[in-house]
Amino acid sequence: MIEVRQLSKSFGGRPVLREVNLTMEEGKTLVVLGRSGCGKSVVLKHLIGLLKPDAGCVLVDGEDITGLPERKLTAVRRKIGMLFQSAALFDSMSVERNLAFPLRELGMTDEREIDARVAEALDMVGLGGEQMKMPADLSGGMRKRVGLARTIVGRPRCVLYDEPTTGLDPITTDSINHMIRRLQRKLRVTSIVVTHDMKTAFHCADRVALLHEGRVHFDGTVEELRASKDPVMTDFIEGRSGETD
Amino acid sequence: MITALGRTTMESVQYLGQLGLLTWETVKAMFVAPIRWRLVLQQIIEVGSRSQVVVAVTGVFTGAVFAAQIYFQFQRFGMGTAVGSVTALALFRELGPTLTALMVSGRVGAAIAAEIGTMKVTEQVDALRSMGVHPIDYLVVPRSVALIVSMPLLVAEACAFGIIASYVIAVQMLGVAEAPYLRYLNNYTHPSDVAIALIKGFVFAVIIACVACHEGMETANGAAGVRRAPTRAVVISSLSILGMNLVLTFALNIVFPSSR
Repeated sequence: MIEVRQLSKSFGGRPVLREVNLTMEEGKTLVVLGRSGCGKSVVLKHLIGLLKPDAGCVLVDGEDITGLPERKLTAVRRKIGMLFQSAALFDSMSVERNLAFPLRELGMTDEREIDARVAEALDMVGLGGEQMKMPADLSGGMRKRVGLARTIVGRPRCVLYDEPTTGLDPITTDSINHMIRRLQRKLRVTSIVVTHDMKTAFHCADRVALLHEGRVHFDGTVEELRASKDPVMTDFIEGRSGETD
Repeated sequence: MITALGRTTMESVQYLGQLGLLTWETVKAMFVAPIRWRLVLQQIIEVGSRSQVVVAVTGVFTGAVFAAQIYFQFQRFGMGTAVGSVTALALFRELGPTLTALMVSGRVGAAIAAEIGTMKVTEQVDALRSMGVHPIDYLVVPRSVALIVSMPLLVAEACAFGIIASYVIAVQMLGVAEAPYLRYLNNYTHPSDVAIALIKGFVFAVIIACVACHEGMETANGAAGVRRAPTRAVVISSLSILGMNLVLTFALNIVFPSSR
């Protein structure tokens, strides 16, 4: 569904991505791993045209989106939902209005249908009945769940998750991991999860890619990842920095 | 020193280019995308309706002080009755639009820059884009339209309150005769003076909207960036208003010559 070819991007002269190649298969979950600041989120933002690459291209359903102007990206973006690292809820709107927003933008006008879709999405993330709360009243985990509900309420074909479990406690992390898997099975969406959390990677992934020094260092299945003897891979999986006390 | 001067010039030209581009994108958006009238109405309430008290108070004190000063100077030559017409001319042609714009820039421009800036650093602007909503359509156009609609009305309100205050000070407090005061006011204030006030209000609204929205959209670096955005918006729009006022004064004097 989505293909990244030879993607390169620099910020302030510092190369962040160097000729990255990735393929996301329809209905599968790809987990992109890497250390903080290695460019994982940058890859994700290129997939819906939030960033323009210096070189290379992104193909969505065979269409190159890299040269498309902002207004022509609308059709592509409506196929893809994105859960932002901070959830990016609109803080001036209640939970209900946050979820109704993408539906109204899709042209839905029937308020009863909107209410039903909002309630269904909140039920899916385990927050049924929380419609009237404001984002400021929610905990970090709840914000992520509402963000996820807003992402899926428009029934996208593909969901991008930017660090979905960062900063959450282990129980909430486990709950979000299950939710990602459940949504993928239930809605049959293509999922791309950017994380540095190995638990999330092992739980959610059909395939794993590891970004290292701006390049794709590894691209394979979870079993291949576990079996790898590559020191970069093993250090990352086991969380070894190489430093001593 | 020459290098620094060159760098400043380049940065100023670049900034003007960015403002020009944003203005063009905003005007284009008004024609290619449907205007969100509900948001425009909300912004008119926020920008226009809620600025009325501050603008009225500004008008009252400006008109009162100006009337008193004019009276103190003019009465030496026996021209105290001209207070009304001079105050009205000053209010319509210069003080009303300029002071209203400076007040609105401080109250509304800062708020717009802070609000959009916060949305930018908390990824809410990216969230809009990810849903296929153009930030110019959703954030910039409603605020710009609201400012363009509200500012001329606020300028008119400030001038009206200024003239009423000038009447109270001159006639009620300083003892200027009412009949000649009103006759001069009527004879020497023309529709062109009101037109100048409204045109200036419109142009200043465009400046405030462009600068404030641009500062908001360009906000980066978290809380520090959000702290800087309103300050920059107020400083840049205030200086631009003062500079543009000089240009408009000469330009509008050609369109509406004062020697009638």
